[in-house]
Amino acid sequence: MDDNARQATRLWTLAQPVVSAFVTSVVRDFSARDDVLQEVAVAVIESFDRYDSSQSFVGWALGIARNQVGLYLRRVRRDRLVFDDETIAFLASAFGAVSADESPKLGFLQECLRGLEGRARELCDLRYRHDLKPAAIAEAVGMTANSVAKALQRIRDQLRECIERKAAAAGTTT
Amino acid sequence: MTNDPRQLIDGYLDETLSSDEHELLNRWLKAAPENAQQLAHATLLHDRLRSEHLALDAASEISRRALAPVLGKSTAASALRLSRWATSTASTAAIVAAMLLAAVLWKGFGESSASAAVVELNRIIAANAQPSDRTFKITVEESALPQRQRERSESPESNRPPKPPIEGAVLHVRGGGQFVLVRKTADGRPFVTGSNGQTSWAVRPDGPVRFSSDLTRFNRDLPGHEHSMPLSNIHEGLERLREAFDVQLLPVESGDEANIDDEPSRLIVAVKKRGFRGPKRVEVTYSVRSGLIRQMRFVEMPYGPARLTLRMTLVEEQPLGEAFFDHQSHHDADRTVEEE
Repeated sequence: MDDNARQATRLWTLAQPVVSAFVTSVVRDFSARDDVLQEVAVAVIESFDRYDSSQSFVGWALGIARNQVGLYLRRVRRDRLVFDDETIAFLASAFGAVSADESPKLGFLQECLRGLEGRARELCDLRYRHDLKPAAIAEAVGMTANSVAKALQRIRDQLRECIERKAAAAGTTT
Repeated sequence: MTNDPRQLIDGYLDETLSSDEHELLNRWLKAAPENAQQLAHATLLHDRLRSEHLALDAASEISRRALAPVLGKSTAASALRLSRWATSTASTAAIVAAMLLAAVLWKGFGESSASAAVVELNRIIAANAQPSDRTFKITVEESALPQRQRERSESPESNRPPKPPIEGAVLHVRGGGQFVLVRKTADGRPFVTGSNGQTSWAVRPDGPVRFSSDLTRFNRDLPGHEHSMPLSNIHEGLERLREAFDVQLLPVESGDEANIDDEPSRLIVAVKKRGFRGPKRVEVTYSVRSGLIRQMRFVEMPYGPARLTLRMTLVEEQPLGEAFFDHQSHHDADRTVEEE
């Protein structure tokens, strides 16, 4: 691997979580998200020569991701509920704006996840490891879809509070 | 219908919004940059949750694949500890990113990887042509008979005596052309076929011992013979891979039966090209150091009307004696011997 490729790899590794989240904000299906993200990665590596190093790499990669998401949506738009182009542009800017502060804090997520117990852990596992939606989870655990959705919302809130608390204790707050 | 932005965001991430709610969220996001940032915050957590859960599996898989050839079975526990370490300390995002990048780079380097595999295949062919003695056990994983053939099996032809089963057979090989294959008949008696490179022969449980100067004379009831890939001739099978299969190199998974000691192994996967006959795929596990084969796995290998998936696993590697591949070593001296 030459220096250029090494540099592209390093920058992409740092930017990838934010770019991934941006893609997820528009392409919610995780397996479709993975496909789009792979296309983004290919485009980032292939066009790295054109990256202006005086600019934010995350912003540049988000621009590429926006194009790839656009290509994906043109293929599926008729079948899915998706945001319009203007909203997607807003989202790309929003991810660029929050990433610098947010990414370091999410490093505490793993520790916070270890604090989940019982039903909360089970629901989290079904939602995120097995990629099940609330209706399918409800069937698996004998709850209603609505109560699963509310429970997932509470779990994310709980994790968010845990992350903020730990970030504050570690001095990683904004 | 809700108009609470937090509920709209959660509903959006879990894909439970109605189209009206979706439209409401769409408008709300455009109303102020802070709104879009609120969704960005929520999605970063949501996306990271997915990555964290996958990373538990991914880290385990990465360390298992990467370390297995180096560490072998005896240090599987160390690999597991390292896997846990990787999960707990490495950045999950970095793992996922690295995997993704590796996939991207792999895409680009696909052609050179194929060339490397061909170079390795040539090395394996040369190494396995050496006159060392090795013993393999044959295991049939799956045997499938097409429906129309099942119907035909009611025909008078199906009354022919059954072939000795290949499952559980033991294959001894020396270099490219010498072999002894020991199968058991239905009543447990040995049925031995072989070749010393000059003649081929068959020692049935009863009747005369037969031999022939046609080296393929007694191969015909073995899987693969009709597609230049007889199990009894590894050398010929490997040559066939070179011409009729697309090959690529992979690491060997830990816990694989082919990992018989702590020596590093590697895997060549060969996928049959269009227009050629033979098994759909062949997997060759071999010693990185010596190039000697430890296991061959044949997927959907034609065997008469059936399709077999079977593997040959190395069980022993030691000299079998000068005369072992002669028929005389496998029957009593008073048996009748006939040339065909």
